[in-house]
Amino acid sequence: MTDETAAPEAPPVDSKREVFALAIAVAGWIVPGLGHALLKMWGRAVACLLTVGLLVFFGAGMRGNIFTSGGNDAFDTLGYLADLGAGSFFFLAKSLETSGPDVSRADGDYGTRFLAAAGVLNLLAALHAYEAARGRKA
Amino acid sequence: MSATIAFNLSHLQAMLLFALVISIAFGFLSRRKPVDRVKYIVWSLFLFLLIGVGIGWAMYPFSR
Repeated sequence: MTDETAAPEAPPVDSKREVFALAIAVAGWIVPGLGHALLKMWGRAVACLLTVGLLVFFGAGMRGNIFTSGGNDAFDTLGYLADLGAGSFFFLAKSLETSGPDVSRADGDYGTRFLAAAGVLNLLAALHAYEAARGRKA
Repeated sequence: MSATIAFNLSHLQAMLLFALVISIAFGFLSRRKPVDRVKYIVWSLFLFLLIGVGIGWAMYPFSR
């Protein structure tokens, strides 16, 4: 008699494809849109590059706060992680914001949100590229 | 030489810009056909603005 409660055997994981998908995700994180570009999803690649780029450009122009690793509390750390999500554009934002942040005005506060949203959006795009590379969605 | 960029946007302009950019990104990531993307972008933008203005009005009684 067989055990009817046993879970069905999981399909074998294609390790090459998994490594490729991870590489795509990392590429997409470092350069917004690169993950999709490597998958020849040109529209999505351009959209990711432009939207993340615009958010970083305006966020830095509005003198939003770019968080650093030496944060004082959990919110600073979360902000830093969100900003890091923009990959290389994190450093672009730092180089654009020559006058430093100014969150005493509403503009600066909005700029902080723009920069964090750019990072989170890029992480979402990198995750999408990862899933697409694994063949789960297109 | 370093060029300094500076923007002074109003609350409404900042919200419009944010909503538009995020809607475009969502539309391209979540839909495949161009027509579906446009529909999604317009619908998402509308909801962003509706909810943003709605929350603004909901906070109005407590603003002073």
